[in-house]
Amino acid sequence: MKKLLREPLLLAAIAAIFIALGLFVIYPVLRVLLYPSLRDFLGLPTNERYVTATLHTFVIVVLSTTTATVVGFLFAYTFARTTVPCKTLFRSIAILPLFSPPFMIAFSYILIFGRNGLVTYTLLGTRYNIIGWHGLWLSQTIAFFPIAALVMEGVLQSIAPSLEYAARNLGASGWRLFRTVTLPLARPGVAGAALLVAIYVLADFGNPVMIAGHYTVLPTEAWARISGWGDVTGAAVLSSVLLVPAFGLFLAQRYWVGRRQYLTITGKVALLTLPPTPWYLKWPLFAFCTVVSALILLVYLGLLAGAFCRGWGFDYTPTLRHWQDVLANTRSLIHSLVFAGVAATVSSLLSILASYLVSRKAFPGRWVLDFVAILPAAIPGVVFGIGYSLAFNVPPFDLYGTATIIILSMIFWNIPMGYQTGIGRLKQIAPSLGEAASNLGAGSLKTFWDIELPLLKSSLVSAFVVSFIRAVTTLSVIVFLVTNRNVVATFTILNLANDGYRGAAAALTTALLALSCIVLAISRLLFGRNVELFRI
Amino acid sequence: MTDAPVHIAIRRLTKRFGSVTAVRDISLEITRGSFTTLLGPSGCGKTTILRTLAGFYEADEGDIFFGERRMNDVPSHRRHAAMVFQDYALFPHMTVFENVAYGLKIGGLRGEALRRKVERVLGDLGLAGLGDRTPGMISGGQQQRVALARALVMEPEILLLDEPLSNLDAKLRVTVRAELRQIQRRVGITTVYVTHDQEEALAISDRIAVMHQGEVVQYGTPWEIYYTPESVFVADFVGTANFIRGRVREASPHRFTLEFGGRMITVELPGRDLHPGEEAVLNIRPEAIQVTTNLPDEPRVNVLEGVVRTHTFVGQWVRYWVDVPLRPEAAPYEFIVDVPDPRERGILEGRVFLRLDPRKIHHLQGA
Repeated sequence: MKKLLREPLLLAAIAAIFIALGLFVIYPVLRVLLYPSLRDFLGLPTNERYVTATLHTFVIVVLSTTTATVVGFLFAYTFARTTVPCKTLFRSIAILPLFSPPFMIAFSYILIFGRNGLVTYTLLGTRYNIIGWHGLWLSQTIAFFPIAALVMEGVLQSIAPSLEYAARNLGASGWRLFRTVTLPLARPGVAGAALLVAIYVLADFGNPVMIAGHYTVLPTEAWARISGWGDVTGAAVLSSVLLVPAFGLFLAQRYWVGRRQYLTITGKVALLTLPPTPWYLKWPLFAFCTVVSALILLVYLGLLAGAFCRGWGFDYTPTLRHWQDVLANTRSLIHSLVFAGVAATVSSLLSILASYLVSRKAFPGRWVLDFVAILPAAIPGVVFGIGYSLAFNVPPFDLYGTATIIILSMIFWNIPMGYQTGIGRLKQIAPSLGEAASNLGAGSLKTFWDIELPLLKSSLVSAFVVSFIRAVTTLSVIVFLVTNRNVVATFTILNLANDGYRGAAAALTTALLALSCIVLAISRLLFGRNVELFRI
Repeated sequence: MTDAPVHIAIRRLTKRFGSVTAVRDISLEITRGSFTTLLGPSGCGKTTILRTLAGFYEADEGDIFFGERRMNDVPSHRRHAAMVFQDYALFPHMTVFENVAYGLKIGGLRGEALRRKVERVLGDLGLAGLGDRTPGMISGGQQQRVALARALVMEPEILLLDEPLSNLDAKLRVTVRAELRQIQRRVGITTVYVTHDQEEALAISDRIAVMHQGEVVQYGTPWEIYYTPESVFVADFVGTANFIRGRVREASPHRFTLEFGGRMITVELPGRDLHPGEEAVLNIRPEAIQVTTNLPDEPRVNVLEGVVRTHTFVGQWVRYWVDVPLRPEAAPYEFIVDVPDPRERGILEGRVFLRLDPRKIHHLQGA
């Protein structure tokens, strides 16, 4: 502390970050929790709609988490541990959902498997309808298995092939090898991945709002309270209920599994090559990955088809007329890109600075800062959004309908992305570098600017990219904050889809995806290709 | 050297990390222009002292003075005590030139003056022409010299070195060690050096502070540390020691006899008076013991018969482990004996006689 007082600039930076996180993370969440009265909370079990939504949420979290984790594990195992043909292609396809708006998969599956679906109706002639819990289950599995796959890929890769060779050397092979060596070593990673997926499923708003129909879950029910009845209290109650399991899962993931998982991953480079995968494993895995990859590609295919066809389900003649709707919504597209660009810039710089302070400086409340900086990862977007609308749509912080409120919510919702990347990278940078700079006369912030920041460049860029994608594609956070003045593309898409303008919705989604890809390509050109994406 | 004024004074310094006391109430005075080594096993607190001098750690108790100035409240970037890190801490995103120029630029030096100064230091350290490389493109020895150049270019009054040679291979370490000492003498900079390598400490230092469990257990010249260690720990840590523990039987001024497992050992030590009945620990270095295969001629003072148990041949000498039987019921005592230049005599086996020169035995006072 004494040391800190000698560097006023450093002290000011720390204080500013504390104030910013307190105001823009803690305060909105507290607003949500404290908005309803105790009676509102007590009335919860008697409200049939609330109880149903809670049960639905529980069921779908269990279902989707299980399938996403299993699919993710099979993919991760294929990438990391087998010689299945085309595995790099499968990997590239598998990460596509991470770059797409969360509602896009559900929306596209309606186009393909819905009542007027391309496959279900046009090809097979049935009137099968995917809307409902099974559609939600499928969409969430496809949307979130890539997260599980990336986490478990890292874990499986960290298991040195020499261990498997050693087991083979001792006479174990096939199923026995997998069961006694590979699986136990991967178990903490599997648990961590499952918890992470569960957090995403629990918080998911985009998929259920599109495809769940009458199968309400907590985030959609909260949205319905406000958009349908103007019942802010009810939405706050539901958000609070949602926050409890989200927070529990988050704590478990971070402090129970997360820690052990970190110990498993040591940086030892394994030079041994993988033994060839036996045919009875290779071809089933190949078939499985092909089917899942096809399901992912169908999403984009359906979207493109939807954007260029006259009337979905009955008239498939190509047309450009949906693109007139896109032109009519240029403003929301521009908003999306500008807001997300500004937010991602601020968010990545702020989070990297926070990660530097936490890992390099001693100050009271350091663990608090560490905790609050990753806390937004635990807060479902819906809760975050309602919190912002409760906290900043009224004096003294009346930001109603402004770009500021949207940008602020995007900045702070994405803080954990850059923060965690920064912390991870700083672990690899020797603290002696900063000490050497200090020894040569550089103060703390100069050291950060001259030494750590350049070395963190790749983390900064990946933090920017991830924040940008999340900000451009988010629906849950902004759905409570947009007005006519600050509308963004995802909200327009939601409205178009809900109002039955599916072609326009598909075209606008395509445009949003294309524009974000262009932004990403430019940032990649500017900052080099050496960017790690989605280090989860 | 002892006439030089005190440059760095550590007064009753204590530093704790949580419940662990890394440095306990240490006082140490380092004279201007001297090369002082903090020597000790890992965890003894030597690096903690160095980092407290550099300002990376704050003293929990006690004071640090550079000359007359109390440094406790001076932040690390204002201390002008240049440090060379164990891992060199070269900035990987800067060239060699930029690394060396970094501190000067912060000091406000620019343009031609900056370039000249950096080039000169690089030239002095044999790094001319490497200025455009990045640290990853040069060898370990060169990296080490860049780290040194980066510190020396600041023309600091104090140079702090944290095991700077530990990442070099054995041969290079000896060369760089000699170079380092030469530069230090030429520049006349007060240097504090941290190492766990006792041989390095003996070779390079004006004075050595041997540390153990957060305390300085002996502070003296390399000669004093090696030949007159004050404790079993110092004798054992610096060099190899044969300890002889026993009770004094006879004593006259500067001479006494010690009973050691039923045998009598005579010691001649000027300035040490012991009394009969007193317990004492003696130390004799392996190279000070003479070995013969035949019973040596008179006078047979301190001659012990033993059996060679095993040996290792390391080139310039052979080290023997010789079992000397003591009382019948006790286990034999194992002496370590070094025989230099073994070529003529070959490897000794079986029964041998050890002769301990009464004047080469050291009495450990603080034992």
